[in-house]
Amino acid sequence: MSAVASLFERPSLVFCASIVLRTVLLFYGAWQDAHSTVKYTDIDYMVFTDAARYVSQGASPYARDTYRYTPLLAWMLLPTSWEGLFSFGKVLFALSDVVAGWLIAKSLMSFYGMSAPRALKYASVWLLNPMIANISTRGSSEGLLCVLVIALLWAVLSRRITLAGILLGLGVHFKIYPFIYGPSIIWWLDEEHDGSTPPSVKQKQKPEDQTLMSILFNFITPSRLFLTVTALATFSGLNISMYMLYDYPFAQHTYLHHLTRIDHRHNFSPYSTLLYLSAAGDVQGNFESLAFIPQLLLSVVAIPIVLAKKSLPGAMLAQTVAFVTFNKVCTSQYFLWYLIFLPFYLPSSSLLKNPRLGLTVAALWVIAQALWLQQGYNLEFLGLSSFVPGLFLASLSFFAVNVWILGIIVHDVGLGGN
Amino acid sequence: MRRRITFVQRPDTPFSLDQAVLTPDALSIHELDSVREERATFSFDELPSELWDVLKQCHQLHIRWASEKRYDTVAPFSSRVSPGLHVFFTPVADSSEENKLCVSIGLGYGCALLKRVFDAWLKCTNPEESFITPPILSTRFASTAAFQYHSLLPSLDNLVTYIENKICPSSDQECLRHAASIRSADSVDINYDSISHSLTVLGYWSRSPGKGWTDEIRKHPAGTDQVEVGLLGTEMATEPEDIKMGGLLGDVGKDDQLSMLYSGLLKPALFSFPSRHHPLPEDATYSISFTSPTGLHPIMTISLPPSSLKPPPAPPGATCALHTYLTLPSSIFGDKYQLSTTDPLFLNSHNLAALRAVAGETDLEAPDWSVSHWGSNWLLELATPAEFDQVPPEWNVTVPLHLRYLPPSESGYRSAAVPWPVVFWACTAEDGTKMGVNPFDRVNLGWEGLFGTRTMFYQLHPSSDRLVEELEVPVLQLNDEGFFQSKVIELGTVIAIGLGLLWVLWKLGLVARSSEPRPQNRNNKQEKTE
Repeated sequence: MSAVASLFERPSLVFCASIVLRTVLLFYGAWQDAHSTVKYTDIDYMVFTDAARYVSQGASPYARDTYRYTPLLAWMLLPTSWEGLFSFGKVLFALSDVVAGWLIAKSLMSFYGMSAPRALKYASVWLLNPMIANISTRGSSEGLLCVLVIALLWAVLSRRITLAGILLGLGVHFKIYPFIYGPSIIWWLDEEHDGSTPPSVKQKQKPEDQTLMSILFNFITPSRLFLTVTALATFSGLNISMYMLYDYPFAQHTYLHHLTRIDHRHNFSPYSTLLYLSAAGDVQGNFESLAFIPQLLLSVVAIPIVLAKKSLPGAMLAQTVAFVTFNKVCTSQYFLWYLIFLPFYLPSSSLLKNPRLGLTVAALWVIAQALWLQQGYNLEFLGLSSFVPGLFLASLSFFAVNVWILGIIVHDVGLGGN
Repeated sequence: MRRRITFVQRPDTPFSLDQAVLTPDALSIHELDSVREERATFSFDELPSELWDVLKQCHQLHIRWASEKRYDTVAPFSSRVSPGLHVFFTPVADSSEENKLCVSIGLGYGCALLKRVFDAWLKCTNPEESFITPPILSTRFASTAAFQYHSLLPSLDNLVTYIENKICPSSDQECLRHAASIRSADSVDINYDSISHSLTVLGYWSRSPGKGWTDEIRKHPAGTDQVEVGLLGTEMATEPEDIKMGGLLGDVGKDDQLSMLYSGLLKPALFSFPSRHHPLPEDATYSISFTSPTGLHPIMTISLPPSSLKPPPAPPGATCALHTYLTLPSSIFGDKYQLSTTDPLFLNSHNLAALRAVAGETDLEAPDWSVSHWGSNWLLELATPAEFDQVPPEWNVTVPLHLRYLPPSESGYRSAAVPWPVVFWACTAEDGTKMGVNPFDRVNLGWEGLFGTRTMFYQLHPSSDRLVEELEVPVLQLNDEGFFQSKVIELGTVIAIGLGLLWVLWKLGLVARSSEPRPQNRNNKQEKTE
């Protein structure tokens, strides 16, 4: 116990441990790839590196089927096309992980007044998490996105508005979903938070004195405006350049694909059975086309308004959970999107204060996934028709567990864990 | 209609001269035990206009059909294709806009015609959507057609009916009898090209009916068209590239002078020619199976006994490699990235050497109902044991494949039928070998065009009676009796999402209420009640 405690006393030890963990996994992965037909490397990594090879040959990264990312990713991974540097991307992703962890610790200390050991302890939920290290060393690019998101949070909290705008625009260009953070950041960024007015001054304004116009006028602050403009400029600047370079395939694969895709294959989403049905033309209604309404109502409107000013990272966590839970497609890599916020939420969460609740939440989350995975195994490998009731009920149960957890998070963030 | 009938007997089959008697008008065949190839060549005036309309849009059209039932092959008819209907065609090469329009109209008509002639249920909307474009290795030789199509087709009943109704004059019993004979054929080829402007139909029967072929082959009624007959057997060739045939030849209705010399007999002949396709011994077999349970990622296993792994009797210095050519319907596909890997671990574990060519529908995600192409073709080079004397009792090659989602069904399962692939050795032949002089040459089989024109093929024999594997594909179960009908799934999803949304909104509402700025006393009151 004391050894663990002393680990958190020394930041260098935590970071060293997290780097060693990833290095070991990288070498282990290379060994497994070389000795087993069951590969450690994620199939997506093959897609990225193939795309990078196309780029190195002067071709479009979209020449690779199922490359559905910004060309920036393929450019970044260009060195993987060089002799002997195949693992460059994995190193980059793993390094992003560590940087994200460092930013978490730094933010916890600077903005939430945590002592270094306590901040490191919570940052270790990310840094020393074997699942996170596993995902990035297998070559999944989610780590890269997570460092962008956490850097965005850090930039906002430290009032680096330009940087925040750029990061937000870049994040949305990279993977669309970070746009949900826009509303909560803008809502949070009031005069009290953007550093232009000391908190005491704001107290003087009486709600009764405000007309609709003045509310609107007060809402549009320079920092809010600046953040929006920088984010939009970055986003459109990147998209226009990429469109000029790669034309329609860029728009098709990076964005339009997500609008037109019929994701009929089984996944964790509660919509998956319905989507299979409607894709095969066996449904009268058209409910699935309205799926974005509950998802965006929660993640873009309700949660930012209610929670952003209570706790920005808490609101972002709730938004991400809502976005992923109510999404039409849900695979396990999406879970990483919200795990990055856990170090900010856990310190004041009822999950830690009430370990029994915490354990129940963790157990139900894992059990619901396991039930789904068992049905998925029956389908994929045993060839049993487990779509209904198996996968259908399993995905609804997993949805129920996630919604219940989201309720707890909303309560904890909103009421400060009281 | 010109005819050429070839009977080829196996070496040990008895033959006596009175089994084939030539008169000035006909050749009588009596209980002849042999394989039979029948070749009929039609000129345009013998064809209905709906056929002509499509054919004139084609530069080349080749149709290959093979039975789903196992049949034996004999030299010089050693080549095989996967069971079912194969269509290869190249439209006329003309870039003018007007002509393009014509071509596309012709193409659109092509699918309708295929359905009318072969099967009304073919998955074919129009060639541009349903056909695939094979990789063309060499435009110089243009040995591969521009468009290709395949569908399983258990019988040619529809074709027979079409010929009976559209081609045969209703009183022509001879024509009707010929058409009906197609029903028992093991393989049928139809060839058209714009240079010869004629349509050739070839039938191949691997076995004679009952006691043997008994037939009276008459000369052409008007005496204008040739009726050639050959009664042949294979002999030992001196060159390994060659096939040597010996026997009797005749031209019914023309050879009456010659036949007099031989007192009513055919003229003897002995000839040899280089051949693309060569036979392998009967024990060179393969069998196809799918590892159970197949799940959504079936693994095709090609099992080869040691006798199949013995390199073929190719010319000295030739290099030979074992290949398979898969013809997969759209419901099943390979992952071209997975199969084109050079990872020795993967290749060794599957006994694969390399993916040589792939064409057609290779989308990794699309469900079957949104795929317009008929499917895909895969040419794989197979690994063989390094040392021939260390061959295991059974050499298994495995090809990992994947299934597409199929539409829901009442039982929760649907069947996907996969034709057996062909497995063959391909060997390089000496420069200057001219395969085209072979009177029995067979090209446009799909796989042979992927090799150089001087390659020699030695085809393995399939060892099962039915050459189609049926896979059980799990699908969403929908029936009228069960609880989980589409309404329940739709309503269940809507209710679950709705309740989830309300729950989170309720929680958010609680937070919003408790943090609303209120007069101090009301806040105190609420705290007390809580």
